[in-house]
Amino acid sequence: MTGCAALQDYFYASPPQGLFPASPGCTSTHKGCCNSASHEEDSMKRITSIFFFFFIMLGCTLGSQAAPASVGIVRSVSMDAHILRNGTSIEAKTNMKIMNGDVVKTGPNGSIGLIFDDDTLVSMGPNSEFAVEDFLFNPSEKKLSFVVRMLQGTFSYLSGQISRLFPGAVRLETPDATIGIRGTHVLVKVEGS
Amino acid sequence: MVSCSSFAPSLKLLILLLAIILISGCNRKTMVVLVPDLDGKTGAVIVSNDAGTVDIDTANQATTISGRQSAPKAPEPMTKEEIEAVFSRALAAQPEPPVHFILYFISDSNELQPESLESLPAILQTIQERNSVDISVIGHTDTVGSDEYNYKLARGRAEAVNTYLVGRGVEQGHIRVSSHGEQNPLIPTGDNVSEPRNRRVEVVVR
Repeated sequence: MTGCAALQDYFYASPPQGLFPASPGCTSTHKGCCNSASHEEDSMKRITSIFFFFFIMLGCTLGSQAAPASVGIVRSVSMDAHILRNGTSIEAKTNMKIMNGDVVKTGPNGSIGLIFDDDTLVSMGPNSEFAVEDFLFNPSEKKLSFVVRMLQGTFSYLSGQISRLFPGAVRLETPDATIGIRGTHVLVKVEGS
Repeated sequence: MVSCSSFAPSLKLLILLLAIILISGCNRKTMVVLVPDLDGKTGAVIVSNDAGTVDIDTANQATTISGRQSAPKAPEPMTKEEIEAVFSRALAAQPEPPVHFILYFISDSNELQPESLESLPAILQTIQERNSVDISVIGHTDTVGSDEYNYKLARGRAEAVNTYLVGRGVEQGHIRVSSHGEQNPLIPTGDNVSEPRNRRVEVVVR
């Protein structure tokens, strides 16, 4: 993480030490959580600590928003494949990151294999087009989503952890129908218009 | 196969192409085939649009859909040869699945179980063999304790494994450390159930 203060060995204490001097052991990050009756000097110290912690958290949030997280990688590519991202076409190369919103295209000789962060495997043959609509893999906040568009061409899809945790979160959209899955390997062909 | 959006340089050619397009109906078709997964097991798919829904739960069966307004057809078997003929390039491009390692921890701590210590060298070896630049280290807990407490405990476990890997020469930039708290159990249990197999870190090498 960038822009955050480092608290040495914070997580090794069990339970982690409270960051608010007036209430040791309180582990909530919400500003109002750790209020407790206290003397005035302690109040000032506490308010200062709360602001200090709040700014660290703010810094961490801003830091992580500045660099969008990738959702997967290109594991293999056999020439003639591009990623369209924010209006720019980038030649696809092995180990390149995939982002939400990317459109992956292969030409007449191309093919490509992708691994998503939840272990979903997607591969495409030639003359194919695939859009990453919404990938979310954050089980600790119960945020799970795998929505992609198979616009044209041939595809192999092998489900990953998102489908195991919440099958309803997976939607493979094609021009003519939506595909829902239950932990599985699916092949899809979409003829171009 | 005639492309429905062909560019025709001369009038004669344009008329000819137009005739072909009209005759063929310019129908776009979608085909969905259920096949066995890497373990040989078969899952299920549900293919639906405004006009209808079709379920497939038998391997090597396919449905075709001729348009948004026409219902998906009843599933029909496809031979392996037919499947290969259509999907050979896509199947050949299928990535090798990432390698998962599971390291188990002593209850309420960042300490590895003794048996798991022996798994550590194999992780380093796999990273080298695959020249991996994308490694996830994800911490987990069982459901004993609050969500919040377990998020932090799991994070601490993942950080401990991360420290080991970086200490043995793996680049920090290639590793992503995260916590799933108690929300992604290996063995689903009720709340507040002690389950040693859930007290773990999963290392995923892509």
